[in-house]
Amino acid sequence: MIYRLCLAAVLAAAPSWAAAHQLVVFASVDCSAVTVEAKFSNGRIAQQGDIRILDADNALLQTLSLTETGTAIVPLEGIDTSAGLVVEVDTGSHENYWIVTPEDIARNCGS
Amino acid sequence: MNKALKYIVGLLALFTAQSLMADERPQIVAVNYPLAYFAERLIGDDADINFPVPQDVDPSFWRPGIADISAAQAADLILLNGASFATWIDRVSLPRSRLVNTSSALTDAFIQTESITHSHGDGGEHSHEGVASYLWLDPTLAKGQAEAIAAAIARRDLAPANDIYARLERLGVELDALDSATRDSLAPLSDTAMIATHPRYQYFARRNGLTIASLEWDAGAAPTKEELADLTSLMTETDARILIWEAEPPQAALQATQELGLVNVVFPTMVHAPSDLDYLDSFEASVTDLIEAAGQISTN
Repeated sequence: MIYRLCLAAVLAAAPSWAAAHQLVVFASVDCSAVTVEAKFSNGRIAQQGDIRILDADNALLQTLSLTETGTAIVPLEGIDTSAGLVVEVDTGSHENYWIVTPEDIARNCGS
Repeated sequence: MNKALKYIVGLLALFTAQSLMADERPQIVAVNYPLAYFAERLIGDDADINFPVPQDVDPSFWRPGIADISAAQAADLILLNGASFATWIDRVSLPRSRLVNTSSALTDAFIQTESITHSHGDGGEHSHEGVASYLWLDPTLAKGQAEAIAAAIARRDLAPANDIYARLERLGVELDALDSATRDSLAPLSDTAMIATHPRYQYFARRNGLTIASLEWDAGAAPTKEELADLTSLMTETDARILIWEAEPPQAALQATQELGLVNVVFPTMVHAPSDLDYLDSFEASVTDLIEAAGQISTN
């Protein structure tokens, strides 16, 4: 009986626990690379996950993985950044994105 | 240069000057319709007001395109609702000096909400934990948001300050009148329990002393069997006889809830511009519909 009550309490708490952990994605850009950072809203680093780089038409340009520091560096060589980029991070259980505009790139590239 | 050529050159110069002037109009981006409406009332034709979210997308969970963000970055003002509304603003770089959180002075009035995770549309899974967002459904809070917009427009010198504050005064009088009329009209409904298909009406309910329980249904969609069962349970729990929809649902949905003994009311939240009506008129029309629904209950 006590076990059932405990289980019920855990299950009842589960939705709020899940909702409390959101993935936060940030990307900064310079002339040569996009640096992606991902962590959960409780401060925990997202150590695993797929990163997808998309163009302005949502066409997939590149995929790579998060490192255990919750970051990844995406070299821009060979990527057309003229219309900006969308960085998506998917940890399997959570996903989020960051938008990099052409103006962000120009601003951080000394233009 | 003959006369005809001079005339053409003159016309071209005029056209070019007008084009340049059009391009130089201040650009204001708003994250929802009420903020766009208040900005339009305050600055009139002196600026372009842009609310970029497509009509069929919930602005709270809109995922903008890159061009949308470029436009926002170039805007003179970006009007934010605050209160956890518009998640996209945390996923882009926006110029801080041009961001206006229209509810930063209203945080004491915020309503904390329960945490419920769900998903609808293509916005992905999300939760309503945190703070209720639809501040503008309380005209006194809407007035506070309008005041913040006026101050930002004046501070950035986008239009003559005297004009802005004169328009703010007029808008304030209209919002006060709307608030007063709404409170008077709804006072007899203080003991009438209601259910909303989505948790949108917290500020409206509090301001007017109403009790509105909430479901988590998709806007404008027909409820499933399970959702109807939830509704039946909530009816038993609250004794509610009025069901508030934020958007017009399919006829079959209206019929199904009517068969449960509910009177349906569509009360647009105005997060998007209501069709044919502005903020004030839509608000007033919805209040009238609520009163009529309560009248139907009492005659049944």
